Amino acid sequence: MLIEMKAIQVNQGNASILRDVNLSLDKGSIYGLIGPNGAGKTTTIAAALGLVPVSAGSVRVLGKDPWTESRFVHARTGALPEQSGFYEWMSAEEYLAFFGNLYERPLTRGEIAQRLSQVALAPRPGQRISTFSRGMRQRLGLARALIPEPELIILDEPTNGLDPRGRRELHDILQELAADGIGVLLCTHLLDDVERLCDRIGVLVSGRTVVEGGLADVLSANGLSQRFLVRLSAEAPPDEPHPREASILTGNGGWRIVDVTPAAKPEDVWRKFYDLGWPLVEIKRENTGLEALYLALTEGGTA
Amino acid sequence: MNAVAVIARKEAGDLLRSPRGLSWLLAMAAALSAFSLLLISDAELSLLDNAEAVYGMCAVIMGLGALLAIVMGVDTVAGEKERGSLVPLLIAPVARDRILFGKLAGIAMVWAAMYLLALPYLWAAGGAGQNLAEGLVSLALLGTPVVLGFGFLAMGMGARLGSTRSALMVCLVILLLAASPVILGPSLRQTAVGRIFDWINPLSVALNALDAVIIDSQAVVSQWLHWNLTLLFSGITLWFARDGFYRTAL
Amino acid sequence: MKRFTAICLFLLSVVALATPAFALRISIVPDHGNPASPQMGDRLRFHTAIQNDGNAAQEGVLAWISLVETDSGKEQPVDLEDWSAHKAVVSAALLPGQTVESIWPMRLIKAGSYRVVVSAMSRSGETLTASPFVDFTVRQKPVVESSRIVPVALSAPLLIAGLLIWRLRENRARA
Repeated sequence: MLIEMKAIQVNQGNASILRDVNLSLDKGSIYGLIGPNGAGKTTTIAAALGLVPVSAGSVRVLGKDPWTESRFVHARTGALPEQSGFYEWMSAEEYLAFFGNLYERPLTRGEIAQRLSQVALAPRPGQRISTFSRGMRQRLGLARALIPEPELIILDEPTNGLDPRGRRELHDILQELAADGIGVLLCTHLLDDVERLCDRIGVLVSGRTVVEGGLADVLSANGLSQRFLVRLSAEAPPDEPHPREASILTGNGGWRIVDVTPAAKPEDVWRKFYDLGWPLVEIKRENTGLEALYLALTEGGTA
Repeated sequence: MNAVAVIARKEAGDLLRSPRGLSWLLAMAAALSAFSLLLISDAELSLLDNAEAVYGMCAVIMGLGALLAIVMGVDTVAGEKERGSLVPLLIAPVARDRILFGKLAGIAMVWAAMYLLALPYLWAAGGAGQNLAEGLVSLALLGTPVVLGFGFLAMGMGARLGSTRSALMVCLVILLLAASPVILGPSLRQTAVGRIFDWINPLSVALNALDAVIIDSQAVVSQWLHWNLTLLFSGITLWFARDGFYRTAL
Repeated sequence: MKRFTAICLFLLSVVALATPAFALRISIVPDHGNPASPQMGDRLRFHTAIQNDGNAAQEGVLAWISLVETDSGKEQPVDLEDWSAHKAVVSAALLPGQTVESIWPMRLIKAGSYRVVVSAMSRSGETLTASPFVDFTVRQKPVVESSRIVPVALSAPLLIAGLLIWRLRENRARA
């Protein structure tokens, strides 16, 4: 297990920031930590990185206590904080060289160029960071986080302010990292990112984990459907027969909105639709039901 | 490369390569130029003896050095925290003490840059007279712990308050308070309170020692007590900076 | 006439008894190494000898140096703060006939005509004893050389400003 948090509490002064947070992240998994502003997401990340001590519960990162063995954890973890500042007067090359030296991994020019291309960043030679766009900064921050060739990557709102192409490229990078066996903890308020990327989620409300587990399991346990927009090439079969796991909500002519039960695999459901004579030509996921779950949990609902 | 050296080089680069740092250095040079031009244009100051001119210049350099150290000290923790560049440093696999000492070394390099910048001014003001060499030695010996002390104080204050503006305000008030006997003249220093303040105020301690060496031609070694007091000041502020830095989180 | 003479002698003896004797005597001599025509920045030294001419020991003898500017229209005492760190000497006791010798160094800070005097008193004494005056004149010396200051004062900020402008232009070029 890369991260294992059990009932952790974090206090700052008299204020209780985290009351009961649970989180477990394994290799190759992308974990979405979601919650409203002020729920304690950033503090949870700080606890995982050993930047704040926990007052109760236990936190293990890569099998170690990050507070007492921070150097071990930091040497194997990459992180991109939400407000990731840079030394504006440096160039991207100088910036990576600086952190390479700090991580005791001095980088050659070739290695720096390779790391920049890994995150699809191609600044002009010597271009100062002060002239970088938001997307370029995010990529540079990711390149910095990847310097230690980490086993675990922690990202706080990494797609904030990125254009759709930038978001898509970042998604691709994260999926490649996960495919390589790196665990990714993704802290975000963009549910679309979570739906696209994450296989596990945790919902944090007022310093407590109200839901934690595999995305499909969570949705299934809460009785929430996956919603799809389906386009047809011809008329639907008479009486519109459909599998038990699906229900047709609305539609006319060449399109329908279909809800699939959380436990069902959509691919199996579409095969059954074909078998029943439906001329499906395009299937587009509308949502996973996560939004409904999130709203229910954060608007006073309980898990 | 050693992490302390890596961070110190970055901190010094912040001053010597960034437009912000160069602007500060320009302001320091302009202040030194203004004071040196006063030495030749002001009727009162132009009568000063060489030693007096060197002493005055040393006092100005130390004051400006302390000011610069405060600005850099506040920025190195509180400023970086506000800009979000501190966390990437804190999550590097480097012991906090090494980060701290790298930053402290950065402040020392800033003071070294200030000292080097001041050399031509000192030569111009006092090169034709006596005690210039003694002045340079005593400025290095006494000015360094005082200036670094103010830098450490600013660093600790920034780490505790977590706000550049608040930390800068508090530190500037402390610097003004420390400089108040110099501003208010010798009459205040004649009172019992003034004398006590003179001994606990690091700026006064260093200035009195500079006065003794440069103007009264006393031996530099005779100022060992003053030197120890300035070292004590930098030691206490170093502890303050370290304690504050260890409390710094996200 | 004899009676008048007797009365005068009586009155003189009363006055003599009532007036305390000057027990301390101070002599002051400029050092022979002092420049004949000193200028600002030079150092002068004065030698004093304080002697107890009285019959009784003088306890707690304190002697101090004073400097007065004597230029016409500028007559004023001078604060010795920057002129000398050696401003006073103290002797716990000065036995009859005993002499305390002191050297008073001084660095000349400002041009003008000056008069130096050393004064002394003891704890038990009732009068102040002063030395004779020593007068000297300090010549003006241009202390800070504008030929050095101006180039440095102008070139250093210009150099840094140039560096700053170059850096800003470079940043703009690479933007």
